[in-house]
Amino acid sequence: MTSRRSAWLATALGAALLAGCAAGPRPAAESAPAQAAAAVTGIDIPIEYYRLDNGLRVVLSRDPGAPTVTAGVWYRIGFRNEPRGRTGFAHLFEHLMFQGSVNLGKMEFIRLVEGNGGILNGSTRFDYTNYFQVVPAHTLETVLWAEADRMRGLAITQDNLDNQRSVVQNEVRDNVLNRPYGGFPWLSLPQLANENWHNAHNFYGDMADLDAATLADVRGFFERYYAPGNAVLVVAGDFDRDQVRGWIERYFGPVPARATPPRPDVSEPRQQAGKRHTQTDALAPRPGLALAWHVPPRGTPEHYVFGLLDQILLQGEDSRLWQRLVRERGHAGEVAGGVNLLGNLFDYDGPMLWMVYLVHDDPAAADAILADLDAEIARMQREPPSAAELERALTKLRAGLYDLAGSNTRFGLTNLLAAFALFDDDPARINRLEERFRAITPEQIRQVAADWLRPENRTILTLAPGRTAGQP
Amino acid sequence: MKSVVFAAAVLAAALVTGAGAAESPPAPGTPRDFALPAKETVCLDNGLAITFVPWGRIPKTTVLAVVRTGNVDEGENTWLADVAVEMLREGAGGRSAEDIARDVAGMGGSLALAAGAEQTSVGLSVLSEHAPQAVRLIADLLRQPRFPAGELPRVLANFERRLSVARAEPDALADEALAAMIWGEHPFARTLPRPGQLAGYGIEAVREFHARNFGARRTHLYIAGRFERGTLEAALREVFADWPAGAAPTDHPPVASAQARQQFIERPGSNQTTVRIAVPVTGPAQAGWFPLSVMNTLLGGSFISRITSNLREDKGYAYSPGSSLRLFRGAALWVLEADVTAAHTAAALVEINREIERLRSEPPPPEELRAIANYRAGLFVVVNSSADGLLAQLAFLDLHGLPDEYLTRWVASVHAVTPAEVSAAAQRFLRSDAMTTVLVGEKGDASLFHRPR
Repeated sequence: MTSRRSAWLATALGAALLAGCAAGPRPAAESAPAQAAAAVTGIDIPIEYYRLDNGLRVVLSRDPGAPTVTAGVWYRIGFRNEPRGRTGFAHLFEHLMFQGSVNLGKMEFIRLVEGNGGILNGSTRFDYTNYFQVVPAHTLETVLWAEADRMRGLAITQDNLDNQRSVVQNEVRDNVLNRPYGGFPWLSLPQLANENWHNAHNFYGDMADLDAATLADVRGFFERYYAPGNAVLVVAGDFDRDQVRGWIERYFGPVPARATPPRPDVSEPRQQAGKRHTQTDALAPRPGLALAWHVPPRGTPEHYVFGLLDQILLQGEDSRLWQRLVRERGHAGEVAGGVNLLGNLFDYDGPMLWMVYLVHDDPAAADAILADLDAEIARMQREPPSAAELERALTKLRAGLYDLAGSNTRFGLTNLLAAFALFDDDPARINRLEERFRAITPEQIRQVAADWLRPENRTILTLAPGRTAGQP
Repeated sequence: MKSVVFAAAVLAAALVTGAGAAESPPAPGTPRDFALPAKETVCLDNGLAITFVPWGRIPKTTVLAVVRTGNVDEGENTWLADVAVEMLREGAGGRSAEDIARDVAGMGGSLALAAGAEQTSVGLSVLSEHAPQAVRLIADLLRQPRFPAGELPRVLANFERRLSVARAEPDALADEALAAMIWGEHPFARTLPRPGQLAGYGIEAVREFHARNFGARRTHLYIAGRFERGTLEAALREVFADWPAGAAPTDHPPVASAQARQQFIERPGSNQTTVRIAVPVTGPAQAGWFPLSVMNTLLGGSFISRITSNLREDKGYAYSPGSSLRLFRGAALWVLEADVTAAHTAAALVEINREIERLRSEPPPPEELRAIANYRAGLFVVVNSSADGLLAQLAFLDLHGLPDEYLTRWVASVHAVTPAEVSAAAQRFLRSDAMTTVLVGEKGDASLFHRPR
């Protein structure tokens, strides 16, 4: 139940088709009332935040714009924290959360949601695993009951475990093993750039580790990490505030409190020297190039500055790297990347990488591409961006926040509220993001580029097409 | 101005519960009304249609042009439409390529350019304060592309790279083979260019494609979100009123082959077999559409569908098996897609066939059908509670010549489908003697194919 990527600040237009006026002008329509576009600067998401006695965090955000509600639980356990010898277990466990709980058998949770008009999914990321539903507003109580049911306890059989192990192994084949550029670079580069095992193992899971997982592992993992005090429930959409608070108390209140697990040391040592690796991809027809730099610690002033730096250098076709590498030099059709490829600038809690990657044509061209990239970074480190360029970067960020707030599924919105609740105990931070970014100066951007985009802080990965030794 | 209010969920009130639960889920409350956003369409004298959809509270505006052209108009020059549309980015009117990129970013948008089979979209979603500038930019792209010859080699190299990657992907190989067998001599039969073909496209071919296929008569503009209607309409009239009408849309619908055919494509290194099974079906403007559409959701178009339940949740053969309806103007296909563990390929094909035959021979239980109808109704509300989602629906109506009632009666139509109609739709369309099957995998093995009945 995992979608691999979630876009941050990406604006997608739905595929749209066509109509015409071939039949001639239609009857004059009654004029619509003029609707003024308010000159809003900043978003104002309504937020109510509290905790139940058992420690469960709750975020409510009412938006009656459409008769739907998005409800989900984010548990503070991701692949970064999974047990050694059990790589991929956090994600395998996510699948098991759909396999049966105290009062619901296999497929019954899914049938309850889809069969009442909802959509659902789950995903596993660095520091959380989430489970969310978008449902018609009148079925919210039913879904809260079901979500609480699986927080109370699971009912997983050996058959369920074996079945979902097969599904996950096929998922890994779908997304990584049976396609060109499968794990490039989102899965492979963290393993090379990081030193601490928590940040540097195979998050999707080695097949042998997946095979080794037992029911005892499942029970232990649930006991340890799926405690109410280690989670946040987010409800956003069209609901009655008092009614929803009553339901949450009734269904989640009785879940017994348990100790929340200690957090392992996930810190990364400061990188002292640049690294360079090559990966061979038997299915890839063209070479690839990817780079990663460690970014400033989350929540520091430099971290926000890095968010703007990313906009200027990499996000959008106006960005410096796109203009240089794609448009001027024609090295590639696109250059992609960002902070936290599997999420966004804020939905993680630990060390993180900024990645840049592209697929190009000539294996011998890697150093020329690196030279062009280095020239752009050197310019960023030398001269502050102009006021106009900074304003454009802020506009891109602002538009992304609006898209988040206006989405019909509210996935991005609830995800950000959950991250700020779980990691910062402060979901209202979402409403202060724009002012934080707006206070940043051009000189701060230059300084952060100089401090963090150093060659010693960088890992380079080249992807070579062709077969590795030993393959037929 | 038409505003339609209806209770999408009223008919979805029956609760689907987990059978055998020790403690029963609480019953849902009273369904709430859902109003489709109001819309208004104006037509300019040159045939350009403009539809306004005020919606939402977020200060953003979508400006989307949908032009009735695409791969259908490229003849044997596969991907020429894609190349021509991509070249719009390379400069238009008084703007260079870099100007376009900066202007777009400065409005808080990103440029969405896509050549489709029958429609091409050129769109921007921007901060509302910039909506009039977005309209002018879209007009420049549609009407005054520069098509600089010097940029074409770079753009073609990007397409060559894209092509070589596609040829390494099992999905692209499967779809290429499927299209070739189903669409005969129609341009839709060729989804990937031949080796060396792209290099032969010169700037004159690109210019000619644009000149022949872009014009007011073929274009529908959609404006959605929050905007100041008067200002925006004035800007639209200013930049589009004198756009030549151009040609009428091409009338060249494809005809799907209903001949049973099978093909195995060897792809060394595959640890899964990529499966496609396709059969011609009816379209949304024809009788029997709603039973067909619901039948697909029940058989393979949802998580609770039979094929997903069987192949994934029971057998573990695949991660995301499923089926869908691929629609064109005047032609439609039901297509099953699955990537199955190589060792379970034959067993997976048996299970797929078993599920198809079971639905053909027995009407589904009413409670199973009710869950599927509820799912479709709920999804309808989610999709249409965004301006962009609604735009896609409106354009779909226009392409297929459907009235507004298609949308306003949609939920009722879905709920009206009976178990017998679902089974009848499976009987009518899912005939093994009309199915085309493609397998992409490690080794050719004709015994993998199930025998047509």
